[in-house]
Amino acid sequence: MKHLQNLSQDQIIDDLLPQKFGRRGKIWTAALIVICCVGAFAYIKQLREGLIVTNMGDYVSWGIYISNFVFFVAVSLVGSLITAIFRLAGVSWRTPLTRIAEIIAVSNITFAALIIIVDMGRPERLYFLFSHGRIQSPILWDVIVITTYFFLSLFLLYITLIPDVRMMISLKDKLGKRFSKVYQWMASFWKGTYAQEKIRDKAITILCITIVPVAFCIHTVTSWLFATTYRPGWDSSNFGAYFVSGAFLVGAGAVVVAMYVYRSVYKLELYITDNHFDKMGKITVLLALLYLYFNVNEFLVPAFKMKKEEQEYLNGLLKGDYSIMFWFAVLTGMIIPILIMIFKKGRKPLPMFIAGMMVVVAAWFKRYLIVTPTLLHPFLPKYNSPLKYNHYFPSWEEWAITIGSMAGVLLIITFFTRFFPVISIYKTLEDKHTISQKIETTEQYESLQVS
Amino acid sequence: MKAYKFLRISILLLLLTGNGIDKIQAQDSTVAKPQLNISYSLPVNHVPYLEVTTRKKLGRKFKVVKNIPVNIYFNEAGPNNLLGKVVTDSTGKARIGFPASFKNVWDTTNEFKFIAEESSTQKEPLTAEITIKKAILTIDTTSEDGTRMVTAVLKEKNGGDWVPVKDIEMILSVKRLLGNLSVGDKETYTADSTGVSSAEFKRDSIPGDQKGNIILVAQVVDNDNYGNLAVEKSVNWGTPVKPMKDFFAQRALWSVRTQTPLWLLFTVYSIVLGVWGTLVYLVFQVVKIKKLGA
Repeated sequence: MKHLQNLSQDQIIDDLLPQKFGRRGKIWTAALIVICCVGAFAYIKQLREGLIVTNMGDYVSWGIYISNFVFFVAVSLVGSLITAIFRLAGVSWRTPLTRIAEIIAVSNITFAALIIIVDMGRPERLYFLFSHGRIQSPILWDVIVITTYFFLSLFLLYITLIPDVRMMISLKDKLGKRFSKVYQWMASFWKGTYAQEKIRDKAITILCITIVPVAFCIHTVTSWLFATTYRPGWDSSNFGAYFVSGAFLVGAGAVVVAMYVYRSVYKLELYITDNHFDKMGKITVLLALLYLYFNVNEFLVPAFKMKKEEQEYLNGLLKGDYSIMFWFAVLTGMIIPILIMIFKKGRKPLPMFIAGMMVVVAAWFKRYLIVTPTLLHPFLPKYNSPLKYNHYFPSWEEWAITIGSMAGVLLIITFFTRFFPVISIYKTLEDKHTISQKIETTEQYESLQVS
Repeated sequence: MKAYKFLRISILLLLLTGNGIDKIQAQDSTVAKPQLNISYSLPVNHVPYLEVTTRKKLGRKFKVVKNIPVNIYFNEAGPNNLLGKVVTDSTGKARIGFPASFKNVWDTTNEFKFIAEESSTQKEPLTAEITIKKAILTIDTTSEDGTRMVTAVLKEKNGGDWVPVKDIEMILSVKRLLGNLSVGDKETYTADSTGVSSAEFKRDSIPGDQKGNIILVAQVVDNDNYGNLAVEKSVNWGTPVKPMKDFFAQRALWSVRTQTPLWLLFTVYSIVLGVWGTLVYLVFQVVKIKKLGA
């Protein structure tokens, strides 16, 4: 953080203000919009023809949509990890990462909620969940907790944005007047007085304390959607912790990837430093080891017992139809990233980016493996079912909607980056001020002559 | 010499036994022609119906033959006597009710012939027929000196009169949830010289409904002349059973939404109110910040 001392206030503001898209940015945004449109087209087709356009059936009734939902929920947990836990733990180097984590959380939880609607055969009956929902059902708990987490994450993002947006209002000549009304509405009241600062600071602390248990709840309840069902692979008391640890890992991986992309695209090397990658690397290794530990518990113990009812399912994962995907998820999602990031050289930006990408990609497949193989191996024998029900591979509509939803997540992040600072200017200036004060104090002490 | 004799007998036995096994195996592997059967039933308070069954013998077992179209005729095969057309289902069975258009014939005739014929272009279509005498089954109860008796009479139509049938075998039972329970010790009861089948009711402690009502059933099953007949009578001979508290009416995890366990309601609402209360408080804090900046 000491490098901030050498930067002027104007330079920090200039570096961190949102920038117009260049040619690459426009192509990237256009590509995402096109993918989203294809996804929307596939969804309209699904709305018109029904879930028959998917390859889901009597057995695999939760396919790629629910896998994707679990993935989005998992990634969204990073908001609580980086912002809330780091703040409460007093991690001083968190500033460049918090907003990245917050926007990743908001975008992912938004699409987690949407993808549930996509999975519904009759989405117009969504309100039935509230009008006819049974509070005994974990599905309703999930609806409640996702809604709550969405608003908490959005509020956290907003309240931390206020001083930056106020600064942007005063720089409207530089930024253009197109969105000045939105900025005015968001933060024109901010004067930065001591009283305002005190209330805001207290509110953020309360929010951080609240968001941590809610974040744990969101993924624990999501795991209970599975664990409260008596099925091979889901019938586990380990599931809550297994899901939460996996979510923290994929969230950390996503932040690492975003850090690298922002640093490269917006030339933020002075703010997202090698030191940040080094520290995030250490955290990611710890999370990967933790997740690996839960995986060992989740698979090794049942495989040791190899109960007859679970035999086919476990063999399918370990050495059968799904073994390639399973070992890919274990190796790419945990073991190789650990081996990369455990060494200091592996915690440099590029290797970290590669490891982060591996974690994120493998995490998606891991969620697919949690959902599909179990559904293909019910405890009750299958009778009189068409042969195609014994296999599942998503239809093009399912792929289009899923990839479209991923593009949607990236689109939210992209647009956010266009209109808001991705690193808090206000907090960075505050950090610079704190460092300067510290250095000044140290110099004063050093200049004192010891008698 | 002895050894030679023993060897010869052994070889002969082996050949004979082996040959026998072959024959059994050959018999087992024989695929017989499908069979068609027809039966008549007069169930309790229902229209009489006819049921056709198609199956074939595979080795020593019968195998269901499905999707066989069958025409059913009354008295003789012909378009005017067609009762209806059916196709056997996945269990190899098909059923047809006696049509209302045949009511006059039914009322004026005492003996009926039903013919089932496979509806196909084959040279030798499957056929089956059954001849049934019109009959009714009645059930009654008596109670003397603490002894409860169940009686049933099968009467056939003879000219214009209903005449009791002697020596007919029937089942007298109590209707239970998964089947019928004989009222006495025997499985079946035979009608005496007056045509009455009677049995002492020995199921005194049997649970009935809330008022103690049970349903007595008299049945004639697979009779060559009369087919299948059944009749029921409700009597107050059972032990009243208090209704079980509705499984879904109690506060439990599997109950309806209005019967949520109180501990769950308390937990969920505490968490929801706690978190949303905090969120509302924080919104007020922002409003406060806004006022300070105004």
